[in-house]
Formats: sequence, structure tokens, C-alpha cells
Amino acid sequence: MQTVFVNDLEPFLSAVVGQMDVYYPRKIDSHYVFEKYNSSSNRKLEINNIRACTPAKEFLFPLRELAAVFPEPLEPRDIRPFAVFGLKDCDLRSIEVLDKVFTEKDFEDPFYIERREKMFIITTDCSEPAASCFCNVMGGGPFARDGFDLNISQVETGFIIEAGSKKGDEFLAKHSQLFSEAGNDVLSERQKNRETAQKQLEENNAELKFDAPVQEIVEKSYDSDVYDEEAATCVECQACTRVCPTCHCFYLYDTKQKDYFGKMKMWDSCMRLAYAQVAGGENPRKVLGDRLRHRFMHKFSFFLDRYGINMCVGCGRCVDAESGEVDIREVLKKLSQELLGKGGKKAEVAQ
Amino acid sequence: MNKNLYQPINGEIIDIIEESPTIKSFVVVPENDFKFETGQFVELTLPGEGEAPFTPSSSPAVTEKMEITIMKAGRVTALLHACQKGQKVGIRGPYGNGYPIEDFVGKDVYIVGGGVGLAPIRSLFLTLVDRVKDFKSVTCRFGARTPEDFIYKNTLFGSWRKIDGVDIKLTVDNADGKWTENVGVVTTILSPGDVDIKNSVAVVCGPPIMMKFATLKLLEFGFGDKQIYLSMEKNMSCGIGKCGHCMLGQYYVCKDGPVFTYDQIKKYPNIWD
Ligand code: SF4
Ligand code: FES
Repeated sequence: MQTVFVNDLEPFLSAVVGQMDVYYPRKIDSHYVFEKYNSSSNRKLEINNIRACTPAKEFLFPLRELAAVFPEPLEPRDIRPFAVFGLKDCDLRSIEVLDKVFTEKDFEDPFYIERREKMFIITTDCSEPAASCFCNVMGGGPFARDGFDLNISQVETGFIIEAGSKKGDEFLAKHSQLFSEAGNDVLSERQKNRETAQKQLEENNAELKFDAPVQEIVEKSYDSDVYDEEAATCVECQACTRVCPTCHCFYLYDTKQKDYFGKMKMWDSCMRLAYAQVAGGENPRKVLGDRLRHRFMHKFSFFLDRYGINMCVGCGRCVDAESGEVDIREVLKKLSQELLGKGGKKAEVAQ
Repeated sequence: MNKNLYQPINGEIIDIIEESPTIKSFVVVPENDFKFETGQFVELTLPGEGEAPFTPSSSPAVTEKMEITIMKAGRVTALLHACQKGQKVGIRGPYGNGYPIEDFVGKDVYIVGGGVGLAPIRSLFLTLVDRVKDFKSVTCRFGARTPEDFIYKNTLFGSWRKIDGVDIKLTVDNADGKWTENVGVVTTILSPGDVDIKNSVAVVCGPPIMMKFATLKLLEFGFGDKQIYLSMEKNMSCGIGKCGHCMLGQYYVCKDGPVFTYDQIKKYPNIWD
């Protein structure tokens, strides 16, 4: 795979725009959202220092989509290739989670797969991890290692562009006239930047240390009162599950249109009261604390058991979005401390 | 492009049978033959209105049509109850696991059911009696609120009882003047001598509260946690282990169930809610 260098990203952006739709970050106040590139607006490309506040799942599993039609069946449509510029390592790992669910061999989601195949992923290194970022605790870091088509790292004099897939490599080859060689000086500068960001993350999260694997902590704390205590500060806005890049609960509902009946697929939230309620009125998770527990168990235990990876990437979106006071990091910390208090893991912790 | 797994196949309701004041059976003809295993469920769509999960109550040996018994419980089921013959519907599935019939071979099959829980049981019953000699017995203990509330009255009070190897006892919570059988909740007609417990499996299906007390009773009799099969009702939406609605602890009821042994799920709180 090639690694190349450019002074200016605009010609590169034009080359991408020439081949596909492009979504790129736009800064609003202190955070970023994705916006579709529009040649008439002429807005310059900027590198987002951290992830956008909206989750990458929007590109693959939209808030609402038509999933079936009556009486004539809905043939899933081919969609135009598109690039998303400015995804981060945490976004890539969230896509890995969604891939597990929606591309599972026994039940493949055709809409997801079509978008996934058409998506061209351009990641960028995180220059200044935010206070809410804790990806390093969840097995990630401030730059992408794999899973991208192209990755961009900013250095003093320009940008290093690295291919991470065949698609990305072909892109670089096709537009080779735009690029020069990435010399050792810029590569070592990149290395230094990455180390700085990594150190920053570690400093920010110095307090967030667990004495046992997170899975073990949540499993052993199944009966903990922490969930009910935390739930007391939750205002049930469901923002945590909306912005969460790995949460993928949805529901199907039917609609009447002028000349057809449709079945829609729409995001849902396991924090919603009636989420698990059956037609007869029974509801296994009537109590908010039980819903919170279920959310943690799903993220840190059930999903891991089933698919082999964690369902939290440490992007911190839920921390930023929360209207109540539940902080996923604090909950884990409390559970962990409570377990320690019970003498569960003392021995290993001494150092 | 892959097959669209959210797209139901078309079907039509060709007959509607009033089973009880709140329960009707719908005979549905799918546009293509529809294979399922007893205990698996389907998602039935009333186009434009909604979708809900049901376990067919007919025998899986019949593939050109299926029967779905529905209690009026929520919005979609009320709309279904208002439907007439000829209504077009959509069918997705079959989903989930069925009853592990092969594991029942050679054993007493002890079936405890109540209310609309007799719907999945009817399908199971028809499957078992097709090869009734393969089982030591098919022993049924069914309950309903009143005699009127029993579904499948014709067969329940008639032909099913004449099958060799089948033993059926019924009970109602409230009897009327004509009722000659037991009065009381279903656990009052369960007795440890009904079957050879060591060589039995129990199948329980019905309202949650009934399932709870029946299960506790069976445990008391000495049934092992792995010998009790429960058909769990959950708020299923996708039916394919993605949307999360049906989660019961680590399990997707739609995919890992709806049939579970008590052993699999006993560690989770609120399983009966
Ligand atoms: S969580 Fe990590 S990868 Fe995500 S934006 Fe923050 S620093 Fe970057
Ligand atoms: S019904 Fe959607 S996951 Fe089971």
C-alpha cells in the first residue's frame, strides 16, 4: 500500500468529488457535523480534530428508511458511491460493530450492505482528543490502524495520505500526479504527533483504570444498585443511544402512502419505557435502572460473547450528549470500585 | 443485490374461525408454499397498519396454508380481528428455533398450556400425534378462564381425546353449569404421577403468570431445569436478531428462541414479565 504526500488538500478533494458524492465535516460552534459537498458552496476542506458529533452509523443505517413495500416488493436500489471524509479510529471500530450485526451470514441486511460497499472511508488522525474521548481505554487510539480506504495525517508542511485498502491504493495510483513521496521527515513528524495525541488521551483518562476486564466488572455487578442510583439522574432523553455509533436498535413500522403500503425501519432506543413491552402489557424492563443495566450488559457482555468485540468504542459522544448526568465512564468506575470494595479483585490491583 | 429480508411474501386470509370471545383463528394462504418447524414463529403484516409475531397453530406438514390463532390484545391484533375473508396480509419468516422434537422421542411429553398458549401447542400436538408411537405418551394439561374461553373446542373435547397415547385433562378458573371437569388453575390438575418424570420433557406455553406457576410446580415435582421447555413471548420486531427488542438477557428470543429450556434463562430476573 502506498503512502504519499501533498501540500494542499483541495486538488485531492476535487479528485474524490470527481468520482463520488462526498460528505465532509463542518464546524458548528465547538463540534463538527457532516455536510454533503456541493460545488457551488465552495467551502474549503477542514480537518476535524476529533470525531464529528453525529455517529458514522447515519451513513450505513439511516435514522429512517423504507424497508419493504406492498403489494409489489421493494427491490433494494443501487446507490451512488460516496466518500466520508474525516472519520476517526473510533468511527471505524463502530462500523466494525455494525458490520457484525448487519452483514451476519444468516440474515444479511441488503440496504446496509449496499451502502457499506459503496462507502469510501477517508479517516484523519485526531490532533487534540477531547475531554470526553476515552478510546484508548476501549482498545482504540487517536489514529486509524486499519479499516480505512485512505487515511490523512496533517503535518506542518502538508498532509500524508496513506492507503489502507485496495480501493484506496487504486485511488492513489490513479491520481498519482497530485502526490509526491512522503519523506522520512514528515513520517517521523506524524509519528510524533500521534504520540502526543496518545499521551494526551492517557493523561485525560488517567483516572479511568479498571482492575479487571470491563466484561467481568459488569457481569459481576449485575445486581448492583449503581444502575438505579444512576437512573435517578437520567431524564430519559435517549440522546445517548441516538448519538452512540454502535447502538443499532430499530423497529419496523407500517405506513399507508398514496399508492402503496410501506414498511419503515427506524432507530429505536432500549432506554425507552415501552421498548420491550408486549401487546398484553407485560414489560421485563419497566424500571429505568433495569433498562440502564441492560444497556451496559449488552454493550460490555452480551455483544462480546456473541460477536467477540466490545460494543463501546470510547468515542465519548454519549458523555457530550447526555442531558441528564449519566456518564458511562463514571458508571463503569463506580461498578469497578464497588466490586473492589467487596474484596473481589484486590490482589491483582496492589501495584 | 441481496434478497430483502424485510420484505414479507404476500398472503391472503381465506377463512376466519371464532374460537372464543377474544380469540380468532385465521387461515392464511401464502403465495408460495411455506415451510416451518413447529414452534417457530412468523411476522404477520397487516399492510399499512402493523406487524406482529405469531406462532402458527397448524401442522407444519401442511405447507400450502397455515393457521394463526390470535388473541385481541393490542392495536394490531384488534385490527386483525376486524378483518374479513379476502384480506391481504404479508408474512415474514419462519423465524427462531422450533421444539426439538427429536429429543422428545421415547419420552413422556408433558404439555401444560393455557389461554391462547394453546396455539403453538396445537401445532406441536399435531406434529407429535402424526408419529404418536415415537413417544411414550402425549400428556396434556390445559386451562382456560371459563369453558367458553377454551380454543379449538371441537377437537379438544372430541377427536384429540380418542387418539391412542394421548391423555388430556382440562380445567377452568370459573365453571358454568354444564362443566363437568376440574375447576381451578392449571397447576391443580398437575400431578407427579402423570408421567415418568425421569423420562419426560415438559412443554409450557401460556400467559406469563401461568407459565411461572406451572414451571415452579414442575420443578417441585422433580423435573430438571433442562427438561422444561418454555415458549417465550417477547416484543419481537425484526425477528432476525438485529433490532434488539426481544432481548432476554444475552438471548435474542427471536433467533435463539422462542423455545428455551428453563435452564437457559432462569438466571435472568423478570423472565415472566
Ligand atoms: S475517541 Fe479517540 S478516535 Fe474518537 S475522536 Fe476521540 S481521540 Fe479520536
Ligand atoms: S425481534 Fe429484533 S432482535 Fe429479536
